[in-house]
Amino acid sequence: MKFNLILVSLLLIFSSTISTANPGGEVDSVSSRDCAGSCHSSPSTNGQSSASMMLEAPEQVYAGLLFDLKSTVGNVEVSSNNMVGLNLLINDDGAKDLPSNDGWEIITDPNGGTNNFVQIVDTFSPVSVVERTWTLRAPSEPGTYTLYLAVQHGTPQGGVAMTGISEPYLVNISEVPENLPRLSPSWDPPNSRNIGEETLIKIETLFADNIIVEMKNGGEITTLEVVNGEFIIPESVNEGVVEWRVIMEGEGPVQTSPWFRLSSTAPGWEVDELTLYLQGFGLMLLFLGLVLSFRGPTSEHRKEYSEDQLFEETPQPSNQTTGSQIPEGWTQEQWDYYGQEHLNSLNEGGQQ
Amino acid sequence: MISASTFHVIATELTVGMFALSGIAFLLCLIQKGPKSRESVAHWAMIGGLVATPLAIISGINSIPSDGISDPLLANKLLLSMCSAGIALGVLINRKLGAVVDLKHSSLGLLSVGMMLTTAGIGGEYSRGETLLLFIPKESVFLFPLWASVVLVILGMVMIAKSAIQHRI
Repeated sequence: MKFNLILVSLLLIFSSTISTANPGGEVDSVSSRDCAGSCHSSPSTNGQSSASMMLEAPEQVYAGLLFDLKSTVGNVEVSSNNMVGLNLLINDDGAKDLPSNDGWEIITDPNGGTNNFVQIVDTFSPVSVVERTWTLRAPSEPGTYTLYLAVQHGTPQGGVAMTGISEPYLVNISEVPENLPRLSPSWDPPNSRNIGEETLIKIETLFADNIIVEMKNGGEITTLEVVNGEFIIPESVNEGVVEWRVIMEGEGPVQTSPWFRLSSTAPGWEVDELTLYLQGFGLMLLFLGLVLSFRGPTSEHRKEYSEDQLFEETPQPSNQTTGSQIPEGWTQEQWDYYGQEHLNSLNEGGQQ
Repeated sequence: MISASTFHVIATELTVGMFALSGIAFLLCLIQKGPKSRESVAHWAMIGGLVATPLAIISGINSIPSDGISDPLLANKLLLSMCSAGIALGVLINRKLGAVVDLKHSSLGLLSVGMMLTTAGIGGEYSRGETLLLFIPKESVFLFPLWASVVLVILGMVMIAKSAIQHRI
């Protein structure tokens, strides 16, 4: 038995393969860099990425306002799936490094979500450069802030998790000038919509007398009609991204928002949740009922059964004997308690 | 406070751990090997898992990034965990009413554990895109119309009531 157990254990151990953590990547998420690379840090499963990483923000960034941050990754050799994970961070410590810790808000990540870790599939190679844009809301307090771009990717040979992080990139956040036409701090652009649905967007601004909305349409830029701060982005027929921006005119200098990206995706799988919950509850009751219906013998039943068996195999004096069989001089109670002993002594050849 | 997704991780680890322990003990009961405490361990661990199951289900629903259940895997998780909870509840009630831990009882316990662990496997497929279970349904869900679900509920209640009367007699 022990030999079999050891054999099976060894078989299981030797059947495992060495692999990097999370082959094929994780999912886009709000993620610290603490889990970068393989969980088992050894030179054979981890490596330093050769990627060149760069961040670039506009010269003027105002506190609490939106802006585009451009991230660039080049000179990188990746695995066959051409995937690189980009991580936007505020330090390289591997802890408390989420942009939100410094007051940054990710309005739109390169994949159309609001995450600081995104997986990008593109033509990554030692000779190409891949650019992606993040739309951020700057911290509300002016000052100098630091941002980092980190990468995680595989290798052409596989089996090694490569990681790297950029040099610190400093962003100077300025106080918002008085009367600067700008988007309302509480307004966020929509990031996604379904294919075949036109999108009505209401712009909320401060100190803006006139707003113009522009949309990229192929290589051209078209102007959309704005009525009472509302405009409509036409429906799309395919999955893709529509880019648009707002130009705000007022007493202060004219302001142009970053290019906002609106992703169009096919409608996802939908289900009537009430029906689903009711079905789940119904299935629970059904299985409960089935199990209760198939209840086996209880311990009491089994005990009774056992006693019946005992009765057949080794008759008890109290059951076996009746009043007429009690020897003279014995009471019923005496016979119940000591009758068997008396009968045994007779069977063993004792004298009556 | 912690987010729903973090609480879901705690609740699922508790559920899966308890059910796994229960499964091992039920397996020992099935093959009639191991210490006598296997019966107590099997049922008490199952109670622990069952207590944590609603927490795992509710926190799981609340931690879905989209507005609602938008993936067949999530629907299958919900249905499978409810089925498992039903069987586990039945096993525990039967035991409370004095059922002997025989082949049938142990098998039902193991079935419940297996379904709950399959649910956890589907969770791995949903959150990380990886699972040891190769043949879990990723695209299809057995969804009944509303009237059929109502019939299921009634049928279940009738079976429970009938069972209660039958065993009282």
